[in-house]
Amino acid sequence: MAEGKKFLIMATHGPDNPEMATLPFVMAGAAAAADVEVVMGFQGDGVRLMQCGVAETVTSPGFKPMAELLQAIREFGGTFLVGGPCIKSRAISEVDLVEGAHVVTAGRFVAEIASATNTLFY
Amino acid sequence: MVTVLNDAEATEFGKTTVVDARGVACPGPMIEAKKAMSGIAVGEVMELWSGDSQTKEDIGYWTEMASHTFLGVIPARGYERLFIRRGK
Repeated sequence: MAEGKKFLIMATHGPDNPEMATLPFVMAGAAAAADVEVVMGFQGDGVRLMQCGVAETVTSPGFKPMAELLQAIREFGGTFLVGGPCIKSRAISEVDLVEGAHVVTAGRFVAEIASATNTLFY
Repeated sequence: MVTVLNDAEATEFGKTTVVDARGVACPGPMIEAKKAMSGIAVGEVMELWSGDSQTKEDIGYWTEMASHTFLGVIPARGYERLFIRRGK
């Protein structure tokens, strides 16, 4: 039933708001487990979650730890897109991002949203 | 509505693979089930253990989306045993 479904899930909250930062990973993990194609996008402070070592520091009561969700989403074939201007303004280097993270700009996000069957923003 | 099974009915499923997801937070049981399903043959049954009573609702949706069959649940002491037949 989930075949042909694609979710674009955008994260804009950073580690200073653990619950709002974790929720997009919860939804992405659940969707990927149900064979939905998952693309996660990171903009604003959300890009900090893609820095190496940051996900390991984020936990929210009642939810699986972010690092474990990230690993599962990657394992299930999820894609991680990080806003280029947002890492630049925070002096984050591309080499500091987690394995599999791709730096993109607005055009790629627009294309991903246009091709997704559903889009969620956090 | 989730079917409540008894041990005799569960025995009829034949070989089952137990996946212990007790103590795993949301949406962990679904993720553990997805990971373990790749090691189970089509038509065989997974027995997923969860300490979260809401897991059976999640698994109902998950099996529908992922083309598996949720056979039912057996309440145990402090957790539930959920039976899922691999569909593809």
